[in-house]
Formats: sequence, structure tokens, C-alpha cells
Amino acid sequence: MKLLLKTSILIIPFIIFSFFYLYLSKDNSYPGADYKNFSLPSFELKNLYDDSLISNSALKGTYLVNIWASWCITCRVEHGFLSQLDDNNIRIVGLNYKDDKDDAINWLAKYGNPYEVVLHDYKGSLALDMGVTGAPETFLVHDQMVVAHYRGEINKMIWNDVFMPLIKQEGFADAK
Amino acid sequence: MIADISHYLSILSTAIFMLTFSLVLVLDRSASHATLLIKRSYSHAFILFLISFLLYVYLALTDNFSVSYIAQHSNSLLPNFYKVTSIWSAHEGSMFLWIVFLSLWGFAFNLHNDSNLNVKNLSIGIISIIIVGFQLFLLVTSNPFEIVLPFAPENGADINPVLQDPALAIHPPTLYLGYVGFVIPFAYSLAFLINGNKSLDWEKKVKSWSVMAWVFLTIGISLGSWWAYYELGWGGYWFWDPVENVALMPWLAATAFIHSLSVASKSNVLRIWNLLLSIIVFSLSLFGAFIVRSGIIDSIHSFANDPQRGMYLLAFIAIILFVSLGLFISRFSMFDSSKNIKSLSKESFISLNNIFFGVLIFSTMMGITYPLIYELLYNQKISVGAPFYNAIYAPITILATIMLVASIDSKWGRPIDVKRGFSMLYISLAISLIGLITIGYFVGNMPFIIMLSIFMGLVIIFRYLMLIISNIVHKKYTNTPSALAHAGLGLLILSISVNSILSSEKVFNMKPNEIREFQNITIQFSELELLNKSNHDSIRATFSLSTEGKQFYLSPEKRKYFARGQITSETAIKIMPLKDIYLTIGEQLDNGQWVINVQLNYFIRFIWLSAAMMALSGLIIIKNIIRRRV
Repeated sequence: MKLLLKTSILIIPFIIFSFFYLYLSKDNSYPGADYKNFSLPSFELKNLYDDSLISNSALKGTYLVNIWASWCITCRVEHGFLSQLDDNNIRIVGLNYKDDKDDAINWLAKYGNPYEVVLHDYKGSLALDMGVTGAPETFLVHDQMVVAHYRGEINKMIWNDVFMPLIKQEGFADAK
Repeated sequence: MIADISHYLSILSTAIFMLTFSLVLVLDRSASHATLLIKRSYSHAFILFLISFLLYVYLALTDNFSVSYIAQHSNSLLPNFYKVTSIWSAHEGSMFLWIVFLSLWGFAFNLHNDSNLNVKNLSIGIISIIIVGFQLFLLVTSNPFEIVLPFAPENGADINPVLQDPALAIHPPTLYLGYVGFVIPFAYSLAFLINGNKSLDWEKKVKSWSVMAWVFLTIGISLGSWWAYYELGWGGYWFWDPVENVALMPWLAATAFIHSLSVASKSNVLRIWNLLLSIIVFSLSLFGAFIVRSGIIDSIHSFANDPQRGMYLLAFIAIILFVSLGLFISRFSMFDSSKNIKSLSKESFISLNNIFFGVLIFSTMMGITYPLIYELLYNQKISVGAPFYNAIYAPITILATIMLVASIDSKWGRPIDVKRGFSMLYISLAISLIGLITIGYFVGNMPFIIMLSIFMGLVIIFRYLMLIISNIVHKKYTNTPSALAHAGLGLLILSISVNSILSSEKVFNMKPNEIREFQNITIQFSELELLNKSNHDSIRATFSLSTEGKQFYLSPEKRKYFARGQITSETAIKIMPLKDIYLTIGEQLDNGQWVINVQLNYFIRFIWLSAAMMALSGLIIIKNIIRRRV
């Protein structure tokens, strides 16, 4: 009886702890990560720099879509890592979100531009269609399909754990 | 520069807490010179950590946006008051405050002299190593001192608008003070186990500390409930949100603990149980920190997180828990007491209620973890909500109240004398029955379980009233805090039951100048204004309401904050003696109508009043203990 009591005092918390361990070490234990596939919504937005119209069909291959704005502090934090990705020839499309055009251009002039192209989504309409809740958020797009979505700042850890496995597994050669 | 000093002081403090722990390990703990050294070492570590925190407050006040955390959660336009509170509006800063409080409790304990030097020093050592664990967690995984390089932003991102509220200034700090306060009974009971002298009355020593922590926890939880009601526009007092539940579990365990402490002091039983409870209470407090900070659960309270933090916390809590449980089990034989609890004695009723509290805690734990287990197994999200908790809490609470009422007539150490008259109990039952019938007359049909709860709530209140009156008449001593806290419990059960059957809500779509009727209330949409404030735009709707011959205005608002673009809803509440009329304004529809939500919340003020009564009774207990010592 006493032995049973002693063991159960240890076993019950042990079960609870192992369960939380399993839950935390689950693959997609990043609360901001989402792997739902959906096709890139069709859009026609202005290029931030020259007001030329860009539609979804113009963007081909595999690339990241990064939602950012000059008013967003976390984007500022994330910016250094995006520049690193750009240095490693990762293609990034910038989606400037609910931002003043001049502010955005000045911001990129000050901190550097890692983007292949920057779309100006002043009303946030494309962002809305893609399910964006705020900035920064990052999508991985392959052949007009969104295959991964991360809400929040991406950094080396998020990149390696959320995006890289997918890129390797699917063999998105042109992403890297 | 100041940020670096603050950062450096925190690191130094961690090192000195580690030194304190090492001193406790290597020195002769019963020697008075070692005691002095340990005491000073702890105090220095604490003071350095406190200075580090105060410097951080200064950084926030002076808008030092080179500190990344301050840049992300404060703004130069904020009033000074919110610049300070913004420190605990997110994970890193609130963890910082949490640890400051943890070490503050230890500091207060450290100042106080204990006749048993060995146990005192061991407790300080245990507290120090726990602090070190959390300080490392702060510095390694959630560093609030991180600097934005190379350029500091010109302005900060602002505090979340729902947190721009006086209640935020006190709700989290009070709650944290409650959670971490249980480190004292935890450390002391472990020190008692290591020391191994069973004649030491550790239960008596930790009582005032435990009651104090319990008071903070009680106030913290009720402030959160009140804040959710009027600021977040949730329109109720309790939502069985997972994070509310992780605060409720240590509260329940702590309530059981402070009752059982008295039992142990009075009749030398439940000693093993108390040791286990002190471990459970503190572990549940830490579990709360884990749930909120690991990002496991989506909730208004959870912080955006990475799993690394969760893993660290999980591992550290596991070490604390398994070391203490291991120690507990190894000393099990120390208390091979053959002393049994007599049935129908006061101890027996308190013990039964301990079991009921245990069931409530276990069920709540199941309610929190079941959706996670389900998600792990089936990859689907489900939620466990109010129906589950109501189904468990209502009947068990009623059983517990029966034990409570029975315990009033019982004595320590011997069974109730059944031949004795129970006139006061019968009178209270009779008055409560009349009360129930009166309430039933106004309310109409109600479910049996609600009838039973109302009845039991009334019985508790009247039974304690009778007790006080009879004690005054017979010039006998009244245990005022006990009567006050339990009458508060009676009021709580009564208010929750009445609230659950009478409260109602309705959603209207209205245009300005339209009139609607709801439960004898005439609501006229009289005006809609646009306001431009310094940090937000606002739409304010004014309604003219008339009920029971009285007329008044209510003006709910909808605000849009500039810095984050967040939209918040400001409720308008008319407080009447028995009910609140609660108005919120929602979206505007395409046809120009506005969505208006009207709620009638009965007895809701009494719920918070009852919590205040419980907290007050705790304060009286502490006052009495201190007065007896002086």
C-alpha cells in the first residue's frame, strides 16, 4: 500500500511531464507556423518604386513573401536576417503593408533592400486575402502555391526549423 | 550605457545567489558566523538585482528605445505610469518582475530571525538556487536587456491598448506576488525534511507566509476577473480560460494548504499531507508560469513564444519537483504515525474537504491537458469549456459546503456530540429555506443544482451569522477571519448561482434615434460622435435608458489606436444595487445599423465583494499572528 502510494506520487507527475515534453518537441510546435497549402490569391499591385503594376502571374518559381512596414519595429529587428537570406540568394518578395510610400522608400534606403521586388499594399487587400494578421509575417510560395506561413519575426532558428525542412523535403532547388 | 549596467548587475546578482547556495552547501549551517555570511550574501544578491530592476524602470521612463524590449512595448507618448507598467506587458519584462518578486519574498524571509539556524540556512539555500534557475532562464532565453543595433528606433511600438488600464498596473504584479510567495513554505518544508527533526513545528512557522501569498493570489485573481469584465468587454467574471485555470489550481491547493496547516498545529495530524501540499502548491504556481510562457496554449494571457523557453522551464520545474518529491518519499518513514483522525471531528471534515479540493484540482488539470493530448494524438484542436467545469465544480462544491457547515458544530480531536442540541444549525437551515423560497418566488423555475447551491450559500452565511451573534451573547471568542472568509464563500456561491440564472443578454441592430425594449428597459440610441484623441480615434455612441422610473445615459465606445492599429471596445456599465446594465457597441452593418450588445448581470458586484472578504480575512490572520509575536 505504502509502496503503491510512493510510486504513484512519482509516476503521476512523470506522466504529465513526459506528455508536455512530447508536446513541446512536436515538429510544428512553433505557434506562429502554419503549413496549410493554398494558391496565391490573384492580385494586381503597384511596384513601390515605379508604380508599375505587378500581377501574381508575373512571380514565378519559389520565393518568400515577407510582409513588412516602416512602422513595424519587429520588422526592423528581422531586417538583418532577411539581408543575410538575400546574400545567400534566397528570393524575397516584399509586401509593404498599410504603409506610406515615402516612409517605406526612406526606410529601405536607410536599412538596405533585401527584396527582389517590393509591392505596395496600401490598403492591405492582398495581405487580407492571404490571412495576414499583422507585420511581420512570411510566406513560402512555390509555383503559385503558398506552402508555409509564419506569423512573427523570422530568424535563423525559425528559418532552419520551419522553412528549411520543407525546402529540402520538396526539393525546391531554385529557392536555394 | 545604463542598460549595460542594469544587465551586468543582473548577471552579478545571479553569481552571488549561486555563491549563497554554495555557502549553504559547504559551511556549517548551524554556526552563527556562517548564518551571518549566508544572510549577507543573499541580501547583497537581492539588492543588486533590485537595483538592476530599478535601473530598468528608469530606462523605460526615459524612453530608452535602444533597448529592444522597451522599443517594442513602450512609446514616448505614453503617460509615465504606463511607461512603467509596459515593463510587465510582455514576456521578458514580466519574467524579470516575477523573479524580482521571488527574490523579494526570500529577502523578507532572510531578514526574519529563526531559532533553528540549520533549517533557516537550508531554506535560504533552496530559495537561492531556485532564483538562479529562473535568472538563467531570463538571461539566456528571454533577455530583456537586448540592444537594438546599430540604430535605435525613434519611437517605440506602444503598449497593447487593452493593457492601458490601471488594473494592468496591479493585476499581474499582485498575481505574481501570490504565485512566488509559496516559495517560502516550499523551501521551509524541504529544509525541514533535509534537517529531519520531526519535532520542529514548521507548519506554524510558514503559516503567515502562506496566508500572505494566498491573500495576494486571491486579490490578483479577482482583479483579473474584474478587468476582463469591464476592460476587455468579456461581460462576465470567469471564462474557464486555460490561464485562469492555472491560477485557480494553486489557489485551490493553497486554500487546502492553509486549512491543513491549522490542523497540523492543532492536533498533530495531516503532517505528511502538508509536506506534499507545500510541494504541490509551489509546483502548480510554477506550472502556471510554464503554461503561460511556453506558448502551448492560445489565450489572451499567453505571450508569443518559442519552444526553447518552454523546454527550459519544463526541465527546470521537473528538476525542482522530482528532487523535492524524492526527498519527500525518502523521509516518508519519519512520520510513521499511527495516530488516526477520529471520524466526525473537525479534522475529519477538513480532511474530506482536502480530498474534494484535490478532485477539483485534478479535474481542472485534465480540462487543461485533455485538448493538448487530443491534439497530440489526433492532430485536431478541441476545447474544453464551461459545461465540463460547471458539471464538476457545482456538485463537488456543494459537497464541500456540507462538510464546512458540519465542521462548525464539530470539535478538534473528538467526534460531534450527537446528543447536543443543534438549534443554531436548525434555525439557519430554516431561515435559508425561507430565503430560497423567496428567491424562487421572484425567479421562477430553476434547475435543482442551482436551488441546492443557493440554499447552501445561504446556509453558510446564516450559520456564521448565528455563530457570531451567539458568541457575542455568550461573550465567547469568535474566530473573526474564519467567519468572514467563510461568509464570503457563502456569498460567492449565492452570487454565482443567482447570476447564472438571472443574467441575460441580447444583441440589437440599431440606428441612431431608434428605440428598443429589453426586460423593462427602454433603450434609445440618442447620439453618435467621432472623437479624436492623442493616441486613438474613437466612435462614441450615447444611449438613453429608462427603467423602473429612472433615466440615465450610457456611452460605450469603439477605439482605434494609431500605433498598432488595434481596435478595442470600451464598455459602458450602469451599476444598480442588484445588477449591472452592461452595454458594448460592435460593428457597423452595411445598412448603417450598429450592433449593440446589452447584458444584465445580476449580483456580479457581490462576487468581487466576496473575494475581498476572503482577502481581508487573510490580512486579519496575519495581523493576529504578528501581534502575538510582538
